[in-house]
Amino acid sequence: MKSETADAHAAPLADVPAVDDPLRLADAPSEIAAALSAGAIGGAAGRLGRRLFGRRTAVVDRIAFGLVLLLVVVAVVGSFARPYDPFAVQTSSALLPPSSAHLLGTDDVGRDVLSRLLAGAGLTLLSAAAIVVLAAAVGIVVASVAALLPRRVDEIIMRACDIFMSIPSLVLALGLAAALGPSMLSIIVAMVAASWPSTARLTRGILRETMSSSYVESAGILGMSRVRLMLRHVLPNSLDAIYVQASMEISGTIVMISGLAFLGVGAPPPSPDWGSMIAEGQQYITTAWWISLFPGLAISVGAIAFGLVGDAVRSFVDPTARRSS
Amino acid sequence: MTALYKFVLRRVGLAALSLWGVATIVFVISKLIPGDVARVAAGRLATADQVAHMRELLGLNDPLYVQYAGYISRLVQGNLGTSTITRQSVVGDLAAVLPTTIQLVLLGMLITVLIAAPVGIAAAVSEGKAADIVARIFLVTSGGVPVFWLAIMMRWVLGSILGWFPISGTNSVDGGPPTVTGFTVLDSLLFGTVGNLADSVFHLILPALALSAPFVSTLARLIRSNMMTALKADYITFAISKGVPRRRVILRHAFRSALGSVLTVFGMQFGWMISAAVLVEAVFGLPGIGSYLYRAIINQDTFSVLASVLVIGFVFIATSFIVDLLQMAIDPRVRRAQLGAA
Repeated sequence: MKSETADAHAAPLADVPAVDDPLRLADAPSEIAAALSAGAIGGAAGRLGRRLFGRRTAVVDRIAFGLVLLLVVVAVVGSFARPYDPFAVQTSSALLPPSSAHLLGTDDVGRDVLSRLLAGAGLTLLSAAAIVVLAAAVGIVVASVAALLPRRVDEIIMRACDIFMSIPSLVLALGLAAALGPSMLSIIVAMVAASWPSTARLTRGILRETMSSSYVESAGILGMSRVRLMLRHVLPNSLDAIYVQASMEISGTIVMISGLAFLGVGAPPPSPDWGSMIAEGQQYITTAWWISLFPGLAISVGAIAFGLVGDAVRSFVDPTARRSS
Repeated sequence: MTALYKFVLRRVGLAALSLWGVATIVFVISKLIPGDVARVAAGRLATADQVAHMRELLGLNDPLYVQYAGYISRLVQGNLGTSTITRQSVVGDLAAVLPTTIQLVLLGMLITVLIAAPVGIAAAVSEGKAADIVARIFLVTSGGVPVFWLAIMMRWVLGSILGWFPISGTNSVDGGPPTVTGFTVLDSLLFGTVGNLADSVFHLILPALALSAPFVSTLARLIRSNMMTALKADYITFAISKGVPRRRVILRHAFRSALGSVLTVFGMQFGWMISAAVLVEAVFGLPGIGSYLYRAIINQDTFSVLASVLVIGFVFIATSFIVDLLQMAIDPRVRRAQLGAA
């Protein structure tokens, strides 16, 4: 304990409660700040980054990383620089095929498909990122609280997650988004609500594994409170595995967002999100195929690239998974 | 035998708990609808009187626990309310559309296993070689492409341009089979002609093919990784050195032991496919639960949407229940683990 208090982040010794107090939430905020400080997260991210861009990275993975970077750049640039106004309706130039003026053609009301695609890129990536991060955050909180509470409560929480997971997440998100009304926000809320149970369950598994390692058990025997143990040792040492899990969610999330938008529970028109663009172009497919084709290609490229990156991240962190992915 | 009895009983309890949980989740969602719920339930075109009547009917003036109790008791009696669009019982509507979805999903599962098994096995056998890499690219692609877009593209290229497949519906216009079970394929088989049968299967192939894409990816990856583990086992090396033909070793020895988790995932895919079918049916105009759900969303018929969510959740729970029991019947390892613990 002495050496712990020497640490800059540690709480003063006077605050350390009796060992048998399982829940000590008084100084939890500072502990959480320490556990999830920029240093801890940055350190894990840096380790990951060095491994990912190392010399032994496979060609496929390099291409995938390149595509993901490209998508991010396109999304950032596309948010301000576009050949045309993505919302400008101009019926005189409706349904024009791809040409040098309109590289990807125009849609049924004369809006430039490329401009809408560019405007939608940021929307898609940001909402996917928001969903994955929020679901992971909820999952981490639920999983660590479950891990700290008595075994019975832990089991009840995990059972509740199972029940949530017995509705396919697409359908649950669909119902929730339909109830909340069509908007991008309701898609995000619905997707987080539909996906936190599985993240919580997976995170609970990761935490359980970290908790069973000998250094955590030793710290526990030394008399460290369970909350401190969780925040200072278990959570920081589980971050790598949690990153992997989150990175593997992105691909599926992109596809699912577009599916929900396609079904009409996303942002209402004239939002340029890729799923709604496909839906709008569907009835013109035999005459103006470019309206639906290009957004779908964009979704596919995004999902495939993020999927490959997720696989690669996993195999870097867990070499045993490398051969079997 | 008492152990088996206990296991089944516990599994039934778990399924019942899940059913209750799903019903409760849907109830909570219905409470999250912003604005006047009675107006939402009565439909966009309802008059003030109709809205007031609906408010009374839904018991929205009652305290929450009375509403919940009423909801659960109606549910137990199999009453999911009335659609504001069709003005018919939602249960009746759903029962009429469910066969279309189920036969689509069954065909989708058949296609999934027909593609995933050979691809997965071939990739595992040629680990690290060209065939494995080609398989990986194929599987990553089929896993990333959104099904609804794939459906639109297949319909356009294979249906409209090449004319190989019909582009919508479940039967050609001139004389489908009589509707008896609602499963057009079964109806054709039992009451129609060979032409009817071919026609109704033909109409389902393209949607089922699009639907199966992401599931092929998941299943084939699993088969590949299980097969790779199985092929490294000592008894495989032994069988090969004993002189058992390679083909036989791969298919009989390795594949059988690789099947365990593959069967579970394959079974669960039935439930997942029903939810993915929502996206595909809308494209092909198949009158299944997906099209029903899609129409309900477009018409802002929120209560029909929620009822469909409930029904899909129930089908999903029933599926995992059956998969668990089947797995116990098939796999002695699972049987020993489950009954040993019970």
